[in-house]
Amino acid sequence: MSVQTTNLEPKGIQGLGKAIKRKEDPRFIVGKGNYLDDINLPGMLHMALVHSPYAHAKILSIDTSEALKVPGVKAVITAKDLAAAGLSWIPTLAGDKQMVLADGKVLYQYQEVAAVFAETRQAAADGAAAVQVEYEPLPVVVDPYKATSPEAPVLREDIKGQMTGAHGPRRHDNHIWTWNVGSKDETEKALAASEVRIKQHMLYPRSHPAPLEPCGCIGDMNKATGRLTVYMTTQAPHAIRTVLSLVTKIPENNIRVISPDIGGGFGNKVPVYPGYVCAIVGSIVLGAPVKWVETRTENLTTTGFARDFHMDIEIGATKDGKVTAMKVYTLADHGAFDAAADPSKYPAGLFSICTGSYDFQKAYAEVDAVYTNKAPGGVAYRCSFRVTEASYLIERSMDVLAHELKMDPAELRLKNFIRPEQFPYPSALGWTYDSGDYEKTLKVALERIGYYELRKEQAEKRAKGELMGIGISTFTEIVGAGPSKDFDILGIKMFDGAEIRVHPSGSAIVRAGTRHQGQGHETTWAQIVSEELGLDVDKIIVEEGDTDTAPYGLGTYASRSTPTAGGAMALAARRIREKAKKIAAHLLEVGESDVEWVDKKFVVKGVPSKSVTMNEVAFAAYTNLPPGLEPGLETTYYYDPPNLTFPHGAYVCVVDIDKGTGEVKVRRFVAIDDCGTIINPMIVEGQVHGGLTEGFAMAFMQEIAFDEQGNHLSSNFTDYLLPTALETPKWETGHTVTPSPHHPIGAKGVGESPTVGSPAAFVNAVVDALAHLGVRHIDMPITREKVWKVLRQAGIDSF
Amino acid sequence: MKLEYSGQEKVQADPQKVWSFIQDPHKVASCLPDLKSVDIKDEKNMVATVGVAVGPVRGTFKFNIELDPKPEENKMMVRIRGGGLGSAVDLTASADINGQEDQTTLLDWNGVASVSGPAATVGGRVLDAQAKRLIETVFANMGKKMAEV
Amino acid sequence: MEITLNINGTLKKLNVEPRTLLAHAIRDSGLTGTHIGCDSSSCGVCTVVLDGKTAVKSCTMFAVQAEGYAITTIEGMAQGGKLHPLQQAFYDQHGLQCGYCTPGMIMAAHALLQHNPNPSEEEIRFGLSGNLCRCTGYQNIVKAVQQAAQMLQQPASSAADD
Repeated sequence: MSVQTTNLEPKGIQGLGKAIKRKEDPRFIVGKGNYLDDINLPGMLHMALVHSPYAHAKILSIDTSEALKVPGVKAVITAKDLAAAGLSWIPTLAGDKQMVLADGKVLYQYQEVAAVFAETRQAAADGAAAVQVEYEPLPVVVDPYKATSPEAPVLREDIKGQMTGAHGPRRHDNHIWTWNVGSKDETEKALAASEVRIKQHMLYPRSHPAPLEPCGCIGDMNKATGRLTVYMTTQAPHAIRTVLSLVTKIPENNIRVISPDIGGGFGNKVPVYPGYVCAIVGSIVLGAPVKWVETRTENLTTTGFARDFHMDIEIGATKDGKVTAMKVYTLADHGAFDAAADPSKYPAGLFSICTGSYDFQKAYAEVDAVYTNKAPGGVAYRCSFRVTEASYLIERSMDVLAHELKMDPAELRLKNFIRPEQFPYPSALGWTYDSGDYEKTLKVALERIGYYELRKEQAEKRAKGELMGIGISTFTEIVGAGPSKDFDILGIKMFDGAEIRVHPSGSAIVRAGTRHQGQGHETTWAQIVSEELGLDVDKIIVEEGDTDTAPYGLGTYASRSTPTAGGAMALAARRIREKAKKIAAHLLEVGESDVEWVDKKFVVKGVPSKSVTMNEVAFAAYTNLPPGLEPGLETTYYYDPPNLTFPHGAYVCVVDIDKGTGEVKVRRFVAIDDCGTIINPMIVEGQVHGGLTEGFAMAFMQEIAFDEQGNHLSSNFTDYLLPTALETPKWETGHTVTPSPHHPIGAKGVGESPTVGSPAAFVNAVVDALAHLGVRHIDMPITREKVWKVLRQAGIDSF
Repeated sequence: MKLEYSGQEKVQADPQKVWSFIQDPHKVASCLPDLKSVDIKDEKNMVATVGVAVGPVRGTFKFNIELDPKPEENKMMVRIRGGGLGSAVDLTASADINGQEDQTTLLDWNGVASVSGPAATVGGRVLDAQAKRLIETVFANMGKKMAEV
Repeated sequence: MEITLNINGTLKKLNVEPRTLLAHAIRDSGLTGTHIGCDSSSCGVCTVVLDGKTAVKSCTMFAVQAEGYAITTIEGMAQGGKLHPLQQAFYDQHGLQCGYCTPGMIMAAHALLQHNPNPSEEEIRFGLSGNLCRCTGYQNIVKAVQQAAQMLQQPASSAADD
């Protein structure tokens, strides 16, 4: 059945700033998306995994005999079988190594122990249920504060006794690394000399991005051609290809990674998971394609978690509210293996953005990472490499400081913002912020929400015993990883690539090294090219995700796509325009210096009636060239960004709290974002809506929890809660625009700003509502039960 | 998940009958509800396959049961280890066996169970109640059968 | 066992096991627009409509139970090559990003509008509370359903209203 597209109206030339509808939508609205599980190959087998019920145990025996008797089961593999291929352990992105299948012991509940290959999905599951494993339970480490105590059991026997790790010395077998930045002595001195000092402990609990499509892959080893094709839910197909080549020793030109449509990534689809490796090994050994699609339980219990930072901050200030110094200590719970997807020089990600939007003269931050009996990961869920943690820390702390100083939180922020004339701003922890106008953005937000009227209303309500709070978050993001001098993943520099090929009839095919999972690149990259080349946006096709055809790139995560690939796209287009200008001059019969690009056309200077369009130039590139010029109209551009970009925002949240039940209702939420130049305002607004909703989930509903035996208590959607349309607040969005001075189109990226900035706004609002009762901080998730307990403790007795 | 249970069962039989019953693995096995099959290794060890339903976690569990009678202390110890459906159970229980003046016997029992996996996490909400019911059923079955002998 | 399912007006003969879920049977028959996202019937991406107006999470039914019903999936919404107003509205209002929840969301909205052709915003949010979305924050989805409701109430009009 063909679906008419006449009611998906044609668009013409649509450049930057246009809210055009998305080019990728037509297939999704008719159910013709091409997601991993939609792909079926002839002769394909299915794989299911066997998981450990224990959080820490020795494996005494694995009996696969019953499983092999299940009709349809072709093979069962364990760590022993992988060892023969040198694949029982693989390197992680953080300089550690991790087991693919449990090797001698298990280190977290649900850890993968064996893989079963069968003709049908059901037979594979039946086979997995029939595998018999005997365990000897071992004592469990669940509390990161106890991980490095003298009595703690050793988790990583594979690196027992090794006192140096990938990021420096280890002080205990369960210690991974300690990373620090800034000047400890100078900061201590500045704190000691400060008139006011506040200290606060806060937890950013473990959570999980839980995209609606779980992870999966199809490994297809073609023995006849020697080529391995891997379909994979991955946000970074080229990096995966290179890693697979290193790990399997198959030459990289013989590996093709195809990332089809992805049903949400949010950082969950960046790491290499044991299931992927087993499916690929299965395909190589059995000579047939092997598909593995995980269940939701597997997704929540084994794939990359997010956060789990236990943070202590101390801030010094003058008594009239000028901040002087900050000191931070963080305990990071990394689970059983350090598989955090950070750039290699930054084991704690970009956490050192924790000085935020404020002019701290002195700062020091130290992050201490430990192993526990939980799944590996740490960097995920729209975090920009730990910026969610850093932002939450500083924005929550500024409110604590405001409360201590009895100062209005907006006033405290305005007093301490980095001023526009201070940009490019060198922060005390080593970053150079490109541009920003924090005061302007906050004032827009305050005006939009009617801040001063709300404070009046709050005072009146408080006098009547009603609970209402206002929370502000003025965050600075740091995205666009990144410049080659500082950024690499496993050694591969974090540039990105764009390829543009213009056809004779004025249409184009455009490819990038990024890989969208809903962010709209098929539309936004086309808009950049439409803007720069004056081509019809409907005639520009955008492709990402096939490593055989797309230029090399590091993928889409950490809000890096627009800063890197978007920049590459603009520069590639400009390079084409340079060549096009020569052709235009030839067509217009003038010298090249007499041609200028005006209103998306090549025009003879001073003679506006003499012009040619890019369409005409494109045709000429194949039919009528100036002598000596190479035919065709295409280029590939690899862009090494000179710096990161620093989007920022001001969010204000108003809450009302029910004294009887502790229920927090978000009355209003205003989000004013500054992401520099906006390519498509409709898409940017959609990104903000989605991120605010995820921030809302983190603040009020979500935690990946464990009991003291390491049992995973959040293994499905009835225990790990996602917001529905019913409880999600209505979001009010707006913008200021402070372009990035170094980005080719002045854009900064925005995808993660809302998850970075919003949790503090929610928590600040709740604490603000209860501050007069002596409440200074409540850890996330702020459940009704927590608020109810606080109210009862403060003597507030319901109605 | 760690669970602790204790209780008392009054058995209409004298201590001698009770001891001969509980030292016979065949008789003990017959008291397990929803028993699918049992493999008696020796007088102290057996492997029993039992039907289990804890909330949405339903299927068969395989248990290694180790009986450790200490008649000189009037005490019976039991160790049950096993699992199924990705879950694992480890239970240690003991019962004081005391004869009463009226030729009946009082069983004072207590047990500590450790449950891991989906039975504990997904089934957690109903695990406590199910486990209690299971243990009470075992002792009720025992009481009935011992009185018959 | 052999069963016959009426999907989008076509009778499909399928060979299924008794335990095969309707969601899997639909997907295995080649209609992959109905998705699977969880194992606790919480997410709703598998939503289909039975007999024109009852939304059902197809993971909560066995395929064998679905015999005798007229099943509508996302692939059956466009008629005669023209998009259904809901599909048009989701496109117009940017009611989707990754697209994974979209088929289920449209089917749930389809059933909602059968029962309540002019729902308030609260009724829309309540009616869709069985369908999760991680990308959009629901705001544009609500706008899409409101637009579709308007379009469906206009006789013989299918033009998109922005």
